[in-house]
Amino acid sequence: MSAAVDRTLAIASNTFREAVRNRAFIGLMILAIAFLFFSLVLSELAVRGEKVRVILDFGYFAVGLFGVVIAVVMGVILVYKEIEKKTIFTIIPKPIHRFEIIVGKYLGMTALLILEVGLMAVVWLLALWLKDAPISWDILKSLILIFCEILMVASVAILFSSFSSPILSGIFTIGIFVIGRVVHMVDQMLNARRGLFVDVPALRPFGEVLVAVVPDLQVFNVTQDLLLNLPVSTSYVVASIGYAVAYIVCFISLAVILFQRRDFI
Amino acid sequence: MNDVGAPPPVMEVSNLRKSFRIGLRMKRVEAVKGISFQVQPGEVFGFLGPNGAGKTTTIKTCMGLIRPTSGTVRLFGADHESLHVRTRIGFLPEHPYFYDYLKPVEILDFYGRLFGIEQRERKRRIERLLDRVGLSHAKDRTLRRFSKGMLQRVGIAQALINDPDLVVLDEPLSGLDPIGRKEIRDILVDLRAARKTIFFSSHILSDIEMICDRVAIINFGKLQSIGTLEQLLHPDRMSTEITFMSHDPELLERVAKVSQRVDRLGDYSRCVVDGRPDVVLKMLVDGGVSIDSVTPKRESLEDLFVKEAIRGAREQQMERNQ
Ligand SMILES: Nc1ncnc2c1ncn2[C@@H]1O[C@H](COP(=O)(O)OP(=O)(O)OP(=O)(O)O)[C@@H](O)[C@H]1O
Ligand SMILES: [Mg+2]
Repeated sequence: MSAAVDRTLAIASNTFREAVRNRAFIGLMILAIAFLFFSLVLSELAVRGEKVRVILDFGYFAVGLFGVVIAVVMGVILVYKEIEKKTIFTIIPKPIHRFEIIVGKYLGMTALLILEVGLMAVVWLLALWLKDAPISWDILKSLILIFCEILMVASVAILFSSFSSPILSGIFTIGIFVIGRVVHMVDQMLNARRGLFVDVPALRPFGEVLVAVVPDLQVFNVTQDLLLNLPVSTSYVVASIGYAVAYIVCFISLAVILFQRRDFI
Repeated sequence: MNDVGAPPPVMEVSNLRKSFRIGLRMKRVEAVKGISFQVQPGEVFGFLGPNGAGKTTTIKTCMGLIRPTSGTVRLFGADHESLHVRTRIGFLPEHPYFYDYLKPVEILDFYGRLFGIEQRERKRRIERLLDRVGLSHAKDRTLRRFSKGMLQRVGIAQALINDPDLVVLDEPLSGLDPIGRKEIRDILVDLRAARKTIFFSSHILSDIEMICDRVAIINFGKLQSIGTLEQLLHPDRMSTEITFMSHDPELLERVAKVSQRVDRLGDYSRCVVDGRPDVVLKMLVDGGVSIDSVTPKRESLEDLFVKEAIRGAREQQMERNQ
């Protein structure tokens, strides 16, 4: 048991090391932080009462956007490279279970995303502090929620790249992300008395499948509450974490099953 | 059944078949078509065959990288994918590629961790292995800056990090310069002296000839012959090559009657005689011809290889016609 943990952690730390030495990651990270500084400049241009709002809005957007982009790009690259560059040929024959490889990759990604979100959060909070904005617990809670969403997207990226090519994996993952952001609207439309699903009943099954399969990422989006200064309850955060974990476990399990069966040619 | 106490074969491949599906229409390509062989403890086993014969496919199946369409692989008498078996195996893939953002020590440390080797022991082994494969001087470079031959050496080192009982190498000598080849060959000889079992594939016949106890020749996915070099190379089937200084057509015609082949080489003529060369030599001496050289020729692995390749191609053709 502890041997399995050691091996999984070896894969995780190697994944993390690969990512932080990867140019794509370093570039995106620099861009992300530059983006946050840009929000500081921009806030200077805003009218008096709106300065904090600009930083809040911008930061929230930047942490989420870059988190998701890094999750997709790195999630796809890290698995793809292992298989395409055939380094996997030296891993599989070692005394390691295939599921440990996938779980290790995911843990390495998680560490990477902690680094990424952590760094951005620090810069963001710094910017807010410079503008004398009140830093509330709700901001921290919103960061936790963003992080959950990013981790979920990373698990989708790993799932797709465990069996398909990087371009397709990237497209599918972004597709799931976009659908995840709007799937709550699909749900509303399904329940509505009028609209698309009533006019074209043939589309109903598609809508139902989407709602059933794709995680509702809007759960993690509390921008509106933040901007309106509405409190984010702790129980809501905990429930959302549970929601994310459940989906992540499903996606990673599916990735393991697909990875288990495949040939490395 | 084995005798009581006799160890099981280190590798036991039975009726292995593998087909790939390629293209949009999922056309079936049979890469391996029912191969069986065994490798005994302590053997150095050469796996020989032309390009596309199915060597890599067979090896990958043995290593659990691909699953056979049918047939079985057992290593050390157990399931080849079991973790216990895998702790005893070292594997070098064909054209290996490694994490190029790492330095040799880092990468070997990573592989060592997968084997659960304790840290101090890892450090000790890595030091020794780098020295053994001749990479001590390149310790501080990332693998991105390594040449092909240097990467091959990293590959050998990583295959030996767990002090394996079975070493499986897919073309270990490709991409190396003559000195590199000799160094790696020396490592293989050391491993053999340490009673390790070695299974390796190669195109380079002289290397196989130099170190293998037993050889299997594979072509078009089928095993064509298997045995010790002595068994395969028919030492009794010797021939002799004679070069001499004459283009006299009448003499050449007489020589041609008793030899396999006669051809002209500049000022010289050359003939190849099966069996003993006495008759031709007497003809030449009697004719007053000056003899330049007499060279006995044993059938080489290369001859066998080419012969088997031609035989394989012919069989393949016949199969297709049916
Ligand atoms: N992934 C694959 N998809 C389709 N066909 C394949 C695949 N891999 C191998 N083949 C086919 O299987 C056959 C055997 O290939 P394999 O790589 O095992 O040969 P090999 O003996 O290792 O050759 P080489 O000496 O060139 O390395 C070839 O005809 C090859 O085209
Ligand atoms: Mg090959």
